[in-house]
Amino acid sequence: MSYFRITLHRSAIGLPARTNGALASLGLRRRSQVVFHPVSAQIAGMILKVKELVLVEEVERPLSKGEVKAERTPEKGFWVERRA
Amino acid sequence: MSRALLRSVLELRAAPSPRLPLPTILRTLTTSTTTSHAAQPSEPRLFNQTTPNIDPPPPSETTTTTTSDSAPPPFNYRGVVPPRLHPSRYQPRHQPHNPPPELLPKSPPPPPPTTSTPSLDPSVATLLPLLAAQPAHYVTVHIHGRPYLVTAGDTVKLPFRMPGVSPGDVLRLNRASVLGSRDYTLKGAPWVDERLFAVRAVVTGTETEPPRLLIKKRRRCRRKRRVVSQHWYTTLTISEVKVCRDADAGLEPVEEGLVEETS
Repeated sequence: MSYFRITLHRSAIGLPARTNGALASLGLRRRSQVVFHPVSAQIAGMILKVKELVLVEEVERPLSKGEVKAERTPEKGFWVERRA
Repeated sequence: MSRALLRSVLELRAAPSPRLPLPTILRTLTTSTTTSHAAQPSEPRLFNQTTPNIDPPPPSETTTTTTSDSAPPPFNYRGVVPPRLHPSRYQPRHQPHNPPPELLPKSPPPPPPTTSTPSLDPSVATLLPLLAAQPAHYVTVHIHGRPYLVTAGDTVKLPFRMPGVSPGDVLRLNRASVLGSRDYTLKGAPWVDERLFAVRAVVTGTETEPPRLLIKKRRRCRRKRRVVSQHWYTTLTISEVKVCRDADAGLEPVEEGLVEETS
C-alpha cells in the first residue's frame, strides 16, 4: 500500500477558513511539517483543496515522527576516540 | 565534583565500554572479519539522542560473516544493579525529561553503514601526494552541520555545551567538506573521504558567557519580569590535521586512535 508524503511548504496564515480546515483534516499544523496518509480518493481531494501550499510525494512506507526528525538532523561529525 | 567521580558517573550512564570505541567507518573498512560477539558501539548511548535506544535481540550462537555493524550489546551497568522503577516513574538524573522507551516512536534502527567505498576522482590519486607534501593544511570540519575552518593548534569555542565529554577527551572529527593547503584544495562532494585525513581535537573545557539580563515589561502594565541567561560553551583545541599521502592506502586506522601515516 502506498502513502502520500505531504509537506506543508507555504504558510496558511491569512487564508480562508476552508483552507485551514483542509489542512487541519490532513493534520498539518505548521510549516515544513510532514504527514503521511494512505493513498485514497478522500485524501487526494483534501490535497487538491490545498495543492498550492503543499508538496506531495508518493512513498511505500510511512515514516514515524522520530524518523522524519532524524532525516533533517545533521550528523554529529565527531566521535570520542580516547577519554581522559 | 572531582574528575574521577565525574568520569565514573558518565561511564555508568554511557555505553558498556566507552574506553575502546571503534568508529563506524573502521568496521566498514575491516572487511570479512568474522566476529561472533557483538561489536562495540561507536559512541555512548545517551538519553538525549535523536534515535531511541532500542535494545537489539541477543546475538546468535553461530559465527556469521558480516562486514557491517553487528548489534550493540545490551546496556550494562557494570555490576551496579539499579533499582527497578515503574516506567512511568522513570526519570533519569540530571538529564532532560524523556518519555520511557515504550512511548518513543517505533522507528527502525539506523541502517548499517554501507560497505562500498565511494569512488575517488582521478585527480585525487595524482594531486593528493602533492597536497600532503606541503607543510601546512587546513580543513573545514562540520560539527552538527556547522562548518569550522581550522588548522592544527586552533581553538574552537563551540556555540553549545557538548554533553558526555570531559576535559582531556580526544575527539576525532570525521566530517570535512574542504581539505586544503597553500596551493591545493580537496573539495568533498559533499564530504571528503574519511580515509584521506585525520583531524583530532582535545576538549579543553567549558566556558561561560557573562550573565545576560533581560527585563520583560509590557506597555501600560507595571509588572516586570527578569530573565537571566548564562550559557555554557565547550572549547576544543585542534591537536592535529593529518593528510594521507596515498589515496589507495589511506591512513591506516589502528585501535585507540593511534594513526600511522603511510609513506
